[in-house]
Amino acid sequence: MSAPASPRVVRRARPLLGTLVEVGLLGEAARDDGALLAACELAFDAIAVVQRCLSRFDDASDIARFNAMAAGAWLDVQPDTAIVLSAARRLLIDSDGVFDVSLGSAPTGWIVREQRLHKLHADARLDLGGIGKGHAVDRAVQALRGSGLAAGWVNAGGDLRSFGAAVVELKLRDEQRGGVVDFGRLHDGAFATSCFAAGARSRLSASQNVSTHSHVSVAAPSCLLADALTKVVAASGDAAHPLLARANARAWLH
Amino acid sequence: MDRAADASSLVVTLVTAVALAPTSAFAVDYLSADEAAKLMFPQADRFEARTVAFDAEQLQRLQAAGVLPRSARWQVRVALRDGATLGYVVVDDVIGKFELISYAVGVGVDGAVRQIEVLSYRESHGAEIRLPAWRRQFVGKDASAPLRVGDDIANISGATLSCSHVTEGVRRIVAVIGLARQVGALG
Repeated sequence: MSAPASPRVVRRARPLLGTLVEVGLLGEAARDDGALLAACELAFDAIAVVQRCLSRFDDASDIARFNAMAAGAWLDVQPDTAIVLSAARRLLIDSDGVFDVSLGSAPTGWIVREQRLHKLHADARLDLGGIGKGHAVDRAVQALRGSGLAAGWVNAGGDLRSFGAAVVELKLRDEQRGGVVDFGRLHDGAFATSCFAAGARSRLSASQNVSTHSHVSVAAPSCLLADALTKVVAASGDAAHPLLARANARAWLH
Repeated sequence: MDRAADASSLVVTLVTAVALAPTSAFAVDYLSADEAAKLMFPQADRFEARTVAFDAEQLQRLQAAGVLPRSARWQVRVALRDGATLGYVVVDDVIGKFELISYAVGVGVDGAVRQIEVLSYRESHGAEIRLPAWRRQFVGKDASAPLRVGDDIANISGATLSCSHVTEGVRRIVAVIGLARQVGALG
C-alpha cells in the first residue's frame, strides 16, 4: 500500500473547561501554517463562550445564577445554555430519568421554554458537567467549519470530535497505570470517555451494575451526545442501552 | 491514511475494539516558546530575555501571598515594541499523575493573564514521571523547534485529565511577574 503524502497539521492546546483543550487543523494549500495557527483561536473562543454560560464555578454564568435563585424565579439564558438544557431534558425523558443534570436534587425541578429557564423546585441545582464539554466541542467545530476550515479536530480532555477528511487515531488513557492504549480511529464523528469507578470524578458513579469495567467510551455523531451517553451507559451499566441506537451511537465498556 | 469508503456510510468509523495491549507513551509538541511568545504578542518587534532572581525576603513575600515559588530564578521574555514593554512571557512545566505539561503564560503590563499556550504534553508509561531522569530528557525542549507532527495525529480519550496543576502554575507565574515588576527586576 503506497503511503499518501502526509498533510500538514497544526495543533494548539490550552487549559479550558477544567481540562486541556486541543485543536488540530489539517493544512490546506490556501493557508499557511501561521494562518492555521491563528484559526485555532476560533475554536478556543467558541469554547470560552460556552464555558462562561455553563460553568458552575463562575458566579455570572447562567447555571450559577440558576443555582442561586429561589423557587418560582426564572432567568433569561444564553442560546448555548438553552440548547444544552433542552438536550438534557430530552435525554432525561428518553433515558427514563437516568441522565439527570440535577444530579438527583430535583430531576424535573426546572424547565426551559424558549430561552427562559424556570426554577420549579427549591432544591433544583444544575451541573452540566456531563454534557457541557461535549457541546463546547461541537460549538468549536461549528466555528471552524463556519470559517471555511476543511478538516481537523477538537479534543477537550478526551471528549473529541473530528471533521472533514481528518482521521484521528484514538488512544485511551490508562487511568490506573498511566500510558495509553490504541483503540481505533475516528473519522467525521465524536468520541467521549467517562470513568465510573469508585472515587471517580463522575457524579454518576453510583451505578448498580458496575462489574470489572470502570470506563465507558461512546462514539456518536455529535460530541454532546457522545459525552452525555457515556453517563447513560455508566449509570445504567448497559452498553447496549436503546438510546445508543436511536442516536446512531455505540458504546464500549473497558 | 484511510479514507472513509463512502460518505453516506456510518458517520463514525471506528474499526477496532479495545485492545488489551501494553500501554505506550504519548507525546505532542505544540509550539516552541518563541512561537508561543509571538502568538501572544504579535505586535512585538523583539523579545528580550531576562533572568529574575529573588532574594530570601522577596521569596517570603511570595509565600505570604499564598504562592509557593518553587524557584528563586525565573526566565522571563519581555515583549517590546519600539522599546516600550508590551508584556511578559514565562515558560514553566508541571507534572500531573501521569503527564508532564510545558506551557507558556503571557502577562500584560497590567499584570493580567493575556494568554496561556501549552507547549508540549507528555503522557508517561507510569510512575517514571516522578523520576528526575525521565523529566530531564525533555529539559531544554521548549527552546528548540518542536517536532512537527505528520501522519501521527493521535488523540487521547480519558476521563480524568485535570488541568488544576496548570492553573496553580499560572497563578504562581502571575505572582512572580507582579513581584518582579514591583521590585524593578524587569526594568
